[in-house]
Amino acid sequence: MRLQAALFIAACVSPAVAIYSDEVNHIDFHHALLGAPSPDSTFFLKPSSSSNASLLYTISDKSIVGAINPRDGTLIWRQDISRSGSASSAAGILRGLDGNNAVVGAAGDSISSWGAQDGKLIWENRFADGVVADLELLELEDARATSSARDTIALTGGESTGVVRRLDGDSGETKWEYKDNSGDVAFQVSSSPTEVFYISLQSAMLKGYKIKVTALDPVTGRQTHQQVLNSESDVASPESILFVGANTASPLIVWADKSHKSLKVNVIGTKQISTINIDNTSGQDIQQITVHAPHKLNSLPHFLVHYETESGAWAEVYHVDMKSSAVSKAYQLPYLQGQSAVATNNVDANVFFTRVTDSEAIVVSSASHGILGRWNVDASSTDRVLHAVAEVVTKGKTVAVRAAVLRKSGDWSLIRNGQTEWTRPEALIYAVAAAWVEDEDQEELAHELEVEGHEGLIGAYIHRVKRHLRDLQHLPEWLKELPKRIITSILTDEVSNLDSFGVAQSIIVATEKGRVYALDTGRQGAIKWGVQAEETSHWDIKSILSQPGSAVIYISDGSSVQINSSTGEVISRSAPTNNKLQSIATFEQQVGSSVIRMGSLGIQEDGTPVAPFDDITGFLVTTSNDGRVLGWVEKDNKHPVWEFVPPSGQKLIKAVSRPSHDPVASIGKVLGNRSVLYKYLNPNLVLVTAVDEKDHTAGFYLLDGVSGKVLYSTTQAGVDPTQPIASAISENWFAYSFFGDVVDESSSKGYQLVISELYESPLPNDRGPLDSAGNYSSLHSNIPLPHVVSQAYLIPEPISHMAVTQTRQGITIRQLICVLPSSNAIVGIPRHVLDPRRPVDRDPTSAEAEEGLFRYAPFLEFDGKWYLSHSRDVAGIKTVLSRPTLLESTSLIFAFGGDIFGTRATPSHAFDILGKSFSKLQLVLTVVALAAGVAFLAPMTRKKQVNMLWKAT
Amino acid sequence: MKKLPRHLHYAIPPGPPLALPAGHRLLPTISIPPSTLLPNPHVLPATTHATLTTLPSSGTDHVLTTSLTRAGTLIFHSLPAGHPESYLLDIRAGEYVFAPYRVDVAADGSVLGIWETFRGNPWDNRGAEKYVVDVAGKKRADVVVEARALGRKGFYEERAKFSLMSLAKNPMILLAIAALGLTLGMPKLMESMDPEMRAEFEQHSRSSPLTGATNSAMTGGGFDLAGWMAGTAPSPMANAEGAREGATGREAAAGSARKRG
Repeated sequence: MRLQAALFIAACVSPAVAIYSDEVNHIDFHHALLGAPSPDSTFFLKPSSSSNASLLYTISDKSIVGAINPRDGTLIWRQDISRSGSASSAAGILRGLDGNNAVVGAAGDSISSWGAQDGKLIWENRFADGVVADLELLELEDARATSSARDTIALTGGESTGVVRRLDGDSGETKWEYKDNSGDVAFQVSSSPTEVFYISLQSAMLKGYKIKVTALDPVTGRQTHQQVLNSESDVASPESILFVGANTASPLIVWADKSHKSLKVNVIGTKQISTINIDNTSGQDIQQITVHAPHKLNSLPHFLVHYETESGAWAEVYHVDMKSSAVSKAYQLPYLQGQSAVATNNVDANVFFTRVTDSEAIVVSSASHGILGRWNVDASSTDRVLHAVAEVVTKGKTVAVRAAVLRKSGDWSLIRNGQTEWTRPEALIYAVAAAWVEDEDQEELAHELEVEGHEGLIGAYIHRVKRHLRDLQHLPEWLKELPKRIITSILTDEVSNLDSFGVAQSIIVATEKGRVYALDTGRQGAIKWGVQAEETSHWDIKSILSQPGSAVIYISDGSSVQINSSTGEVISRSAPTNNKLQSIATFEQQVGSSVIRMGSLGIQEDGTPVAPFDDITGFLVTTSNDGRVLGWVEKDNKHPVWEFVPPSGQKLIKAVSRPSHDPVASIGKVLGNRSVLYKYLNPNLVLVTAVDEKDHTAGFYLLDGVSGKVLYSTTQAGVDPTQPIASAISENWFAYSFFGDVVDESSSKGYQLVISELYESPLPNDRGPLDSAGNYSSLHSNIPLPHVVSQAYLIPEPISHMAVTQTRQGITIRQLICVLPSSNAIVGIPRHVLDPRRPVDRDPTSAEAEEGLFRYAPFLEFDGKWYLSHSRDVAGIKTVLSRPTLLESTSLIFAFGGDIFGTRATPSHAFDILGKSFSKLQLVLTVVALAAGVAFLAPMTRKKQVNMLWKAT
Repeated sequence: MKKLPRHLHYAIPPGPPLALPAGHRLLPTISIPPSTLLPNPHVLPATTHATLTTLPSSGTDHVLTTSLTRAGTLIFHSLPAGHPESYLLDIRAGEYVFAPYRVDVAADGSVLGIWETFRGNPWDNRGAEKYVVDVAGKKRADVVVEARALGRKGFYEERAKFSLMSLAKNPMILLAIAALGLTLGMPKLMESMDPEMRAEFEQHSRSSPLTGATNSAMTGGGFDLAGWMAGTAPSPMANAEGAREGATGREAAAGSARKRG
């Protein structure tokens, strides 16, 4: 089979650059994130009726359904239910029942049921008549039910209709549906053991809403009776209703009057409305009222109302009389200063409330006010608790509780008996920009060296001696550490601590929710600090620029925030300007193996720089929002020096340039016969991508950034412009990928990756028009055009983002890092596999084989060894950053945008590091064995020599 | 009235509900049978999914995705209708590799045929036929296609394990062991020889150039490392000047002894 042959070839040629399984979690790290859990759809659930183990389930505001192991906070499975394409703005809904191996989630207009243990699909269904407003699982045992799967009651609400459907638990097919065409707002569904209730809001004559409760027969879906509650004076909008109790023996509707003076409670199905006066002794206005009631059918009809004021909170527990439907207050949890969160759950019929406050966690039974368990909470933080879910376990008279608490910062942590067990930084899913931290101490040394460079010979010498004498103060410390370092380096698994070689870098990550984090790549991406830099829900960050000691975050409105990169303190803020920025341009210059930033400049949406850049020698290439590419020189920010407009019909989508740190180790490529092909090395290359959405074509234009001249262009037909088109450029090559369809008889259908290399001339040992010129000008002479060699490969999946590994000197071969969104992976394709000079339709000659070329195959299967993310499921990656370390072999990789993933790439093996396979113990044992051998043989030799001398004479 | 759910996509304006009898649902279903590479299809990760891809045209959905079900199948619930289309079907399942397929769909959204296809080959170069619609329309079988795992990606590098056997195979170690055996075994061997033979052997070995060279090296020429380590020879620094004469004298004596012998 051809495919297998291709696979085989790919397997043969790839060098082994993969990660060792014992390096997992050592050189790489991964935060598998969900997003902020939705308060109503987060719960502990026992997925199997045979086992008592429970998992924590949630649906996040990113519409990702996930199951978390409550023991250590690891993600067991997750499914993005928004991916089906429906644009859902409403929060997702997730429901589950103990002992039922299914969770049912809804986002937008689709409902899907997932295996609770393994996260595999059970059924999915989609409704054209509106978004899903509510879901409930029918807990009641259906006598005729053949399987244990529970049916779902789904409510979809459209413009004027609300539809209640009963969906089969196994197939998701509709058993019955009830249509409400009255024009009411479809609000919620609820169920009792005997009935299904459809709750809708009926617009009252003047203002407000009346609550309409329609009872349906759970078997046939026929309406049995209907009730309208006179709530229009209190309920102004659907948000005014605090609670609609689901699946309890006495489901409730709770709402409050506008002034928060009294609470109205109705047991669903009855006409009676109980009014409870709110006894507010705190003297402050109530800000939020939440109602906590058990969700299980057989639980006691008790519920808790939690009142929050500006600075404190209290809670009251009420009992419902099942016969008379009267509501009576049982007891009160006292008013406490600080934050407080309450969670409810039940063990059999008993209902327990867990209250987590700043200082303690307590568990009470709903029946009486006696505190069953009290723990001091160790981690009190200023971070407000938004909501909590808890699971109480009783053993005799003692209780144990674990509560998953979501804080305002987005941290989701589990507190077990007062101890914080784990914390998931869910807010990192909103990361939009990141930058590596520049170390301050190295800068100091560089400064000192600079001083030495500028002084005279003797002055520099004295300066250096002084510096070294100053350094001696660290000697006692170093000597003290030495024995410990030697012993640990022999005993520990870690061969050598590479932190001082730049592999332990901090990175600053900013999220669109206004939070800024610093992660340490040397400690598995642990969070060093996190601050709320801005109170916003949509922070339009354009760029983060780091400088020694601090980082500046630039926002699209022209404002910026400077943050101390070691503590997270906000150093300064600048006010917004009138110019709305499209991006931030930086002027960077490569000096030796490091990059120095000369300055930065905001670029407006129409592509013009906000200010002329007088003090910087350089040029600027910008894209404008009307699809042009503009070139600028200093002193003029009004009139571009050149302009590139793609052919009519084509829309500019992307422009990439060479990375600012892109060292070239060799200016030529040595061929098998020792002749040299000279690389076309132009530091000012810009690769522009433009697509024609009607003709399905894509144009790729290689421009010279100084003159704006088109050096090379190509057009691809049959391109899907809606699928990701990624491109990257480095050294003397560029690559791009797209989905290509059939355009003629010989063409194939699938994703393609095209690689092009630029040479000065097609002939070896020839520099074309440049001849022996040391340099050339883009402006004054005729710029030579490159000789371009290209090859295209069919690849098995789309690439959404491309980056290139960067190393210190550029000697290590480069990897083209590709983000594979459909398999949630990051792959690093070695550059020499993508050599466009691979021989086509013939085997390589011996000279070509010596060069490392092998036969071209149109299909490029991604070898498992190329996967930087190996078996990890790295979802939602938007950007990949690469950074050189002090080790030439190693490049740091950091990926963000959804999950956070970081690793060290060693494209040509870790040739300058003693790896884990290097056994120090073995080395020491060998030395010891040799010493023992010498000690044993020395007397023998001595004796022999003496004997020989005596015997010889 | 019992109605079937409508598997319509959002992009299509809501039309009259499909009133198809239950037996006529022709949803393309891919099942993954156990194979030697994948003995238990239930080990496939939950992220396993299948995708139908084609070029976008006239507003219909051109990338359709479905997740792996608990039964180990992949079912496409909604195929856009409107005009005939030819889709590329990919199955992506973590480390398991599946072949690509070609799915042809008629204008009414029903499947015309499913074939295996080859990446990097013309689209019309169809491989093994998996399903094709019965044109006569006598029986409308369910569209069920089996997709076998073709390969498995190895993500990890194997680390060479420490073993005594590999150590013993090392030529340096073998050499050292042989040398050790010789050094320890030789005197024993010599002792077991009868005196005449030993004398002959000693004489023979003394006259051999190799032993002579060793002896001269041991007694003088250059730095005597073994001797120095054993503590019998002086350090090379001390040896440099004064000891030179004596050494040469001794060497001369040895040479005369050899002549005599």
